[in-house]
Amino acid sequence: MAFNASSVTRTWMAAAALALAWPCAMAQEVQGAAAPTGAPVPKSISVPQARLDGAARDGANFLHSNGSYEQTRYYSASQINTGNVAKLKPAFVFQTEVVESMETAPIVVDGIMYLTTSYNHVYAVDAATGKEFWHYKHKQGPVTTYCCGPNNRGVAIMGDRVFMGTLDAKLLALDAKTGKVLWATQIADPELGYSETMAPVAVNGKVLIGTNGGEYGVRGFVKAFDASDGKLLWTFHSIPEKGHEGVWAVNDATGRNMLRDIETEKKQLTDKGGDFYKTLGGGVWMAPAVDRATNTVFFVVGNPSPDLYGAERPGDNLYTNSMVAVDLDTGNYKWHYQYIAHDVWDLDAVSPVILTEAKDKAGKMRKVAIHGGKTGHVYVHDRATGELIRFSQAMVPQENMWVLPTKDGKRMLPGANGGVEWSPMAINPKTRLVYAANLHQPMTYHVEEAKYPGGKLWLGGAFKAIPGEKQWGRLAAVNIDTGKMAWKFDTEQPLIGGVLATAGGLVFNGEGNGWFRAFDAASGKKLWEFQCGAGVNAPAVSYTVRGKQYIAVAAGGNTQLDFKRGNSVFVFALP
Amino acid sequence: MSSTFWMRCLALGLLWPLAAPAQAPAAPPKAAACVACHGPNGNATLPLNPILAGQTARYLYLQLRDFQEGRRSDPQMSPMVKDLSRDEMRALADYFAAQKPAPQNFKVDAQKARLGRAKSEETLCTMCHLGGFAGQNEIPRVAGQNYDYVVKQLRDFKDKRRTNDAGNMTSVSRTLSDTDIENIGHFLAGL
Repeated sequence: MAFNASSVTRTWMAAAALALAWPCAMAQEVQGAAAPTGAPVPKSISVPQARLDGAARDGANFLHSNGSYEQTRYYSASQINTGNVAKLKPAFVFQTEVVESMETAPIVVDGIMYLTTSYNHVYAVDAATGKEFWHYKHKQGPVTTYCCGPNNRGVAIMGDRVFMGTLDAKLLALDAKTGKVLWATQIADPELGYSETMAPVAVNGKVLIGTNGGEYGVRGFVKAFDASDGKLLWTFHSIPEKGHEGVWAVNDATGRNMLRDIETEKKQLTDKGGDFYKTLGGGVWMAPAVDRATNTVFFVVGNPSPDLYGAERPGDNLYTNSMVAVDLDTGNYKWHYQYIAHDVWDLDAVSPVILTEAKDKAGKMRKVAIHGGKTGHVYVHDRATGELIRFSQAMVPQENMWVLPTKDGKRMLPGANGGVEWSPMAINPKTRLVYAANLHQPMTYHVEEAKYPGGKLWLGGAFKAIPGEKQWGRLAAVNIDTGKMAWKFDTEQPLIGGVLATAGGLVFNGEGNGWFRAFDAASGKKLWEFQCGAGVNAPAVSYTVRGKQYIAVAAGGNTQLDFKRGNSVFVFALP
Repeated sequence: MSSTFWMRCLALGLLWPLAAPAQAPAAPPKAAACVACHGPNGNATLPLNPILAGQTARYLYLQLRDFQEGRRSDPQMSPMVKDLSRDEMRALADYFAAQKPAPQNFKVDAQKARLGRAKSEETLCTMCHLGGFAGQNEIPRVAGQNYDYVVKQLRDFKDKRRTNDAGNMTSVSRTLSDTDIENIGHFLAGL
């Protein structure tokens, strides 16, 4: 995860704001109680599997953090569209009590919105009026370990309960009506660097969740828990005990030489053995996609640990920096595709997998799985085999790839945050475009020998932003059938937070300086914008209540890139 | 960073004990052994030993764990922590974190402190230690820390005698001269 990781840099950039936020944040954490306050939701909530399966066509609700199991973030209602979006106005603003980084994707069911904040607060709110029902604050354990802010990206819902992962590496099931904790399961040991910021995915009686910790020497995984009682059903280790050295790949997925000294790596492996799989990283920290027809779970795996010091971990470091497919019932491996073997730049695979269809090279439509990389490429894979059908042209400048980090630092673009960071992309099947929030941050990569520090930050060097070099963002639209960039919209701030596309021919995206915008999905023309007063660094969602379509987005700023903090979810509608 | 930022941070440093658990915990039984070297309530008067009062609980706990597991070693500390349970470590960490730091007796040289402050700004110390050097997560509070202790730690990091930070501090301290280290020691002691 990059630090999520990328630690130092991010910490770096973040420090100023973080310091200011810290006093409140601490207080919230310490005072957090394990019982909800407020009132129950005034209706019964029940989301059967069939509704979850049909979420992509559900024009009333937003039932998954990324809209559907396919994670297209394409919302099927079109009341708000290119013709009227200019009239979009705030309907209400919901203020939480936590002024800190917001990455939440609210989910909405039957007019009730469930949203989360930093430090694992959950609110149940009337999605048409903003009236607060219940409020749950999680009481953290004594040690929480996370690189890039106390974030949370939302809940999953199934049946009558919502599910949330916590910074102290627990999975909670809350009663959707009351907010009461029904069960809590310890996923992994936070003292060893495990924590949760991702939204889980609930499917077929199971709750799927991965882990953070690529900067802390964890052994990554995806786990499935029984939604009824929180019991562990299966674990897929994103670092296999045997065979993590892989095929000693010379080139990356795009055919560029990664400048590895493979002979030396082989000797290191012979000398030290492969036992370092226990601390090899490979966090899975964004929601997986699920193909219900083939019962397959798709996700991308983050960077190896330590981030920059590769001598500690000879080999390809499978399945870091890869897309992986596993069986939903058993967690058994199906296939993987690695983008960067033996990564020493923290250019991990993060942005969640999208399942859709795209043309192959022969022009035939195929079922594909798509990932937007920190490298700046969109990768299109055959869904059944993992075969790389194409990678897009680079969406952001690339330079000096793959120069190896040195003690004094080497400049390479993209910087360690991307390209596309964790920000979920969106697609519009009509325009054939995928929309990706990119950032451009020139960095130097520094390496330093570093032994495993026992669950503490383990970078093996530093990422440093280059003083005086301009940083910026780019919302890019890429044709998934050709890999060509169709349009781009450049922004003052590096973009982090994600994208929403709608059947109204619109694309919504926010910026760290508070601007939240709507674009024409086909042309990229800016059609509307609103100043939210704090960084809009979360993915927008949409839903319909009593015939009125709404667009909702959190504006809480961002710790990692130090964008102005806030505490609000803005909800917009036509007058 | 603005001066408002700095002032907020300084205030934060002073307020830190209030952010700890509302009820200050009673001294755990094992704390008696600590105060011989770390002073009453963790206000170490021996200059080579760190002040524990007001340190963050997380940092204290993680250091105790590192001493026990051999990632950090010290002839006095290593044997002291050998038989501590995790719960005892947490109790000690919570207790000392909740104590109020006493005013420093060290005579800060204002000129050296100014240079130390400038060097620390150039070195971006507060990116991890936070403004006011209040600490966060596994990064310690070093505001008001004993001069001799700070100087020794920076030299130990630089010479790789202390490595339980996974190299971040080694990376940072290799750019510091002995004079820089002394100046930073003055600056931090005076916070």
